[in-house]
Amino acid sequence: MRILLLVLVALAAGCAAVAPEQPAPQQPPENAAVASLMHSAHADADAGRLASAEASLERALRIDPRNPRLWQQLAGVRLQQGDYAQAESLAARSNSWAGADDVLRAENWRLIAEARRARGDDAGAHEALERAEHYGR
Amino acid sequence: MARRAKPGRARRLLRLGLLALALGASAYVLYLDQRVRHEFEGRRFALPAKIYARPLELHVGLRVPETDVLRELRELGYRPAVRAGESGWYVENGDTLEISVRPFIFWDGPQPAKQLRVTFGDGGVTGLADAQGAPLALARLEPLLIGGIYPTNNEDRVLVRLAEVPKTLIGELIAVEDRRFYTHWGFDPRGLARAAYSMATGHRIEGGSTLTQQLVKNFFLSPERTLGRKLTELAMAVLLELHYSKNEILETYLNEIYLGQDRDRAIHGVGLAAQFYFGKPIEDLTPAESALLVALVKGPGYYDPFRHPKRALERRNLVLREAREQHALTDEQYQVARATDLGLNPQRAMGTSPYPAFVDLVHRQLLRDYDEADLRSEGLRIFSTLDPRVQGAAERALADRLDAFDRERRFGAPGLEGAVVVADSQTGEVQALVGGRDARYQGFNRALDAARQVGSLLKPAIYLTALEQPSRYTLATLLDDSPFTWKARGAEPWRPVNYDRRFHGAVALRTALANSYNVASARLGTELGIDKVIATAHKLGIEHELPPYASTLLGAADLSPFELAQMYQTIASGGFRVPLHAIRDVTTQDGRPLKRYPLAVEQAFQAAPVYLLVAALQDVVRDGTAKSLADWLPPEIGAAGKTGTTNDQRDAWFAGFTGDRVGVVWVGYDDNRAARLLGASSALPVWGETMAALEPQPLVLPAPAGIEQTWIDPQTGLRADATCAGAVELPFADGSAPQARAPCASVASGAGVKSWFERIFGL
Repeated sequence: MRILLLVLVALAAGCAAVAPEQPAPQQPPENAAVASLMHSAHADADAGRLASAEASLERALRIDPRNPRLWQQLAGVRLQQGDYAQAESLAARSNSWAGADDVLRAENWRLIAEARRARGDDAGAHEALERAEHYGR
Repeated sequence: MARRAKPGRARRLLRLGLLALALGASAYVLYLDQRVRHEFEGRRFALPAKIYARPLELHVGLRVPETDVLRELRELGYRPAVRAGESGWYVENGDTLEISVRPFIFWDGPQPAKQLRVTFGDGGVTGLADAQGAPLALARLEPLLIGGIYPTNNEDRVLVRLAEVPKTLIGELIAVEDRRFYTHWGFDPRGLARAAYSMATGHRIEGGSTLTQQLVKNFFLSPERTLGRKLTELAMAVLLELHYSKNEILETYLNEIYLGQDRDRAIHGVGLAAQFYFGKPIEDLTPAESALLVALVKGPGYYDPFRHPKRALERRNLVLREAREQHALTDEQYQVARATDLGLNPQRAMGTSPYPAFVDLVHRQLLRDYDEADLRSEGLRIFSTLDPRVQGAAERALADRLDAFDRERRFGAPGLEGAVVVADSQTGEVQALVGGRDARYQGFNRALDAARQVGSLLKPAIYLTALEQPSRYTLATLLDDSPFTWKARGAEPWRPVNYDRRFHGAVALRTALANSYNVASARLGTELGIDKVIATAHKLGIEHELPPYASTLLGAADLSPFELAQMYQTIASGGFRVPLHAIRDVTTQDGRPLKRYPLAVEQAFQAAPVYLLVAALQDVVRDGTAKSLADWLPPEIGAAGKTGTTNDQRDAWFAGFTGDRVGVVWVGYDDNRAARLLGASSALPVWGETMAALEPQPLVLPAPAGIEQTWIDPQTGLRADATCAGAVELPFADGSAPQARAPCASVASGAGVKSWFERIFGL
């Protein structure tokens, strides 16, 4: 079963690999307000002040909802908070704005893998890691 | 003996009688004592939950023009001139705005007063700095108070501590209302006598009741005036004085006193009165301002400074004079105070809320987590998502359009109603909710409670269900718009017709949606399976059950504008459903965080099919039933949307989105009468006018992986190239684009010819 899954994943990854790269959606230059909020969210999350980090990131998202880094950082905070379902959804949301940024996609897939593993979904975690590998190359 | 016995008996009877009276009186006093203590100590002022709008966040790049920032400052009660030593003012200087921001306790902590310099250009903020000119990344204004959840008597107050109340206010109050307050025992015979005297001489100033008596009256007693009442009041006043200090009594008095009326909202206490009349915290009141509050004690209606400014000014000056006489004010203070005008905050008649429909939504969402009683008494601070700018635009658009329609009688008799919901399409925050054309009216909330036929607004659920199967359906797939009959067991045969009463033969899927063809859509829906389409609608966010009949495909289901806004939010954010919500945070009255309402996202659909649906909904606006939106929004915005019109044209709908907002507008008659309403001509204008006022962001969905662009010949639905006349470039899920080439492409392009040969001969 597992092997079958692996084969499927590999196939899926292969298909994705031949898909033409999409151009990145036009990102406005990083807004100073967003940058400062991201910065304080980082500091808060590192210090374990997760509610503050969350509030800052939501505040930043209201200003710049197309910024995949913000969605990703919020996904990370949810992961720390133990809200794995939200962590996964938010990382997927980040992917949807990632454009051609494969490094970011790989990070998101690793985050999704971690969320799935924490939920006991090992197969899903494995699949997510494969995806991360694919983008991380 | 007998002669002496008689008077003896009488005396004994008298003594007994007196004793009984004394006993009875003491029992009554004891009872009163218990009541006074119990109620005074157990007394907690019911503090309504306060609801705030979103705070305006200023930063470089904010697309809000200066006029709108100024409007918000005025609504916040900021004064248009420097006020030394105070916050809460602004100065306009060309395209630069100097703002002295008031301190405010946010959910994430207190924010001190500060001075900002904001530069505008190009319809938005281009510079933000502090008073010294050092650039700032971000600054927020305090949020507008937009309403509350009040006790049933609609008493509103802001509690203050005695230490916060200016000494001059207390001095003025005592000088006018109760000169011997600090020395009497709850009642003041001399004051009474003086009151009687001054009444006789016509110079009535004091009421004769001490502050303690006034408090007792407001607190415990009904307003009837009998001797018994008066005695009870006296006894209770004395008892209150026995148990509590003068300061405790005074503080309670200052918080209890009734000082005005704002529509249905009763203004109690000096804390709220300071805000209501002057737009400032109690600590900042000048002697003249406090004197006006003291003047109002005697009769807030009679001396209402908004309605009777002359009367109020005279009474205020009387208070000032008395205060100087009693040495509560120095001569200098008196002279300055007397020379100032009333200094009222430009009144913002609000009642319990200027936005009753939105407050209703907040209230309902709060009731999921809080008791009604707590909401009405605990003084919770609710930070909502309302954007007054968006709300204002939606209210104006709805009222102006409906007024015009009524005047022209274009759609039927006057009396049209409507509702608007606007939300941030990415975060799901509800920014505006209008429950009817009179947005101040606290009645039927059509945005939430009107259950109306939705018509074509449900069609995107059919098309999304189809586009989820790229091997069967693409935007170019030809659908059949020829006569169609649907037969189900136990039901009349159903024969849908098009709005133009014609059949259009083979039409591309995107064209069928763009022109809202009923027959093609119904046939498509039944092909897919009615239950599948209904499941899609639920996944999009429709919570109400939908009837499992074919007619549901064409919108024979009753839903509220709010529910449809949820459906279109999911589409607008590329398939990520974010529950529409109206609250961000709740804190206790002193600012301790209680609950956050975090952003929650759920991927309800894969990105590719939603991307295709959005492209089709953009076609609706570009050259379909919503073409007239071009009158409001330029084509670069790329807005997407859907019109809706129901049987007998009873309901008109428009739902759509730009890059940043999703909105739904409904227009119809409350009695559901047949009219001549059309989504495109009655609901769409309201939507267009609202969005046009809000600097919309262009709608550019990021193309997800697995989407490719291909040229198509719309006539045949086959592959074309740029040289084909009328060819369009459409997005397709990878591998789903038609392989066969249209004749134009095969002739015009060598490559096309080759591949055509390849196909024919299998090379």
